[in-house]
Amino acid sequence: MLRAYLQYWRINFLTLLEYRANFVMWFVFSIAYHGVALGALYVTMRQFPSMNGWNFREVFFLYALWMNGHELHNTVFFTVVSVPDYVREGRFDRFLVRPLDTLFQVLTVPQQIVPDSLVLAIATLAVATAAERVRIDWVFVVFVPLVVVGGALIDLGISLAIATVSFWFVRVDTLRWAVMSLEQDFTRYPISIYTRGVRIVLTFVFPFAFMNYFPATYFLQKNDTGLHFNPAIGLLTPAIGFAWVAAAYAFWLVGLRHYQGTGS
Amino acid sequence: MRLEPYLEFAKKAFAREATYRMEVLTEIGALVLRVYILRSLWTALYAQNAAPINLPLHGMITYATVAMLMSLVLEVDGTRLIREKIREGTIATDLMKPISLPLYFFSDGIGQTLLHALLVVPSLFCALALVHIDVPPPPTIVAFAVSFAVGYGVNFFVNFLMNSIAFWTLETFAAQLIVRWASDLLSGQIIPLTLFPGIVGRIVFGLPFAAIYSTPLLIYVGVIPSSQWAAAIALQVGWLAVFALIASAVWRAASNRIVIQGG
Repeated sequence: MLRAYLQYWRINFLTLLEYRANFVMWFVFSIAYHGVALGALYVTMRQFPSMNGWNFREVFFLYALWMNGHELHNTVFFTVVSVPDYVREGRFDRFLVRPLDTLFQVLTVPQQIVPDSLVLAIATLAVATAAERVRIDWVFVVFVPLVVVGGALIDLGISLAIATVSFWFVRVDTLRWAVMSLEQDFTRYPISIYTRGVRIVLTFVFPFAFMNYFPATYFLQKNDTGLHFNPAIGLLTPAIGFAWVAAAYAFWLVGLRHYQGTGS
Repeated sequence: MRLEPYLEFAKKAFAREATYRMEVLTEIGALVLRVYILRSLWTALYAQNAAPINLPLHGMITYATVAMLMSLVLEVDGTRLIREKIREGTIATDLMKPISLPLYFFSDGIGQTLLHALLVVPSLFCALALVHIDVPPPPTIVAFAVSFAVGYGVNFFVNFLMNSIAFWTLETFAAQLIVRWASDLLSGQIIPLTLFPGIVGRIVFGLPFAAIYSTPLLIYVGVIPSSQWAAAIALQVGWLAVFALIASAVWRAASNRIVIQGG
């Protein structure tokens, strides 16, 4: 199965090389998108230089860290996000009659991958790291990629859960959109600006704070003024990611047993 | 010209949108959470930094909340139909019908807008549970309403123009989204344009996007004093006229183009 998966990515990569013009177009597109978000943040923080003790460059690093996990998810696991569409169009039933794991089949739906956002995310993180002069030691080198993978897994858990909800409620477009945009809004600022209840939810219920807040607190050598944890908790992100995906996968399996199809 | 068909189009659009009740609830929930985020953000920022002279914390929270409620109405895009109809080819038969198509798109948009305007009411109550928003005196409310209506018109024509590009090329999606995002920032929807510094500030106030969110909102929170209402709204009306002219020219060119292609 792993061999098949690697082969799938080799084909994706070769297709990508065929369509270089597309890549450039989507790249401009991604720059505009994140440029607007960061531009608003920059203009705001020119007027208000401190956000609960975080300056613009630190908030920029926070954003870049989130961006990497999120875009890694969007590049590698995007087909999971499309499951509600497959369900609605009746294409999902096809996966159920084949003798292979359903999730594996979802992960290997042929598609055109454009990793523009991921490339931009890596570049943004490099700029943010240099701008803030983050100390680069072996912990940074080893854990930043792991934190990014963990962040992508936290996102995957959310996508899987929404996909599973679509087995019961067919139209989940608005829910999917709302969750994604709220995730982005909530992770844009240090969680210490929120009330205590929300900080706890962002840590223990929907662990978005592990995508960027806790790891950034650690790498930037700041204190966690949100929940007063030891900042090293940020290094747990990969473990949290795996646990979160495992929980979402269990929910997915329950959903599959209940799956009835739309009849379309 | 008879208006009844257009009223009917608006009613149809309203009924169509109203069928998705689950979506409506999700939208209100998301809006309330976003109001909460903005309240937290501005409260934290004002607690630790010097406040701008003309916009105290309660003014900023009012600005952000009203902007969010306005977006429920302004993010409706009735002219998206243009692109769909061109892609499916049905625009050709629509052009033969004895109706004005731009007016049809406008009424469809109005129908959707009315439903979303109704959404504003429950959202407002939910938002009021979280934040206190300033209610200005009646004359200011009236000036805000007038300015909002003109801004709605500008927004309609900007969308109309963006969707009309589809007559020339169907690859409009990316360009359209980029304009949409730029407009989110430059129209004053995300942050007040007064935060932009110096020359950049003067430029963003000079762009047509400012007519959509910024002018009505700055009237609402009192940054634009009553002595300047007339001038501010006149500038908006100016942009409305400019875009209406461009849109009608583009529409004429586009209709001719369809005829030629249909040969």
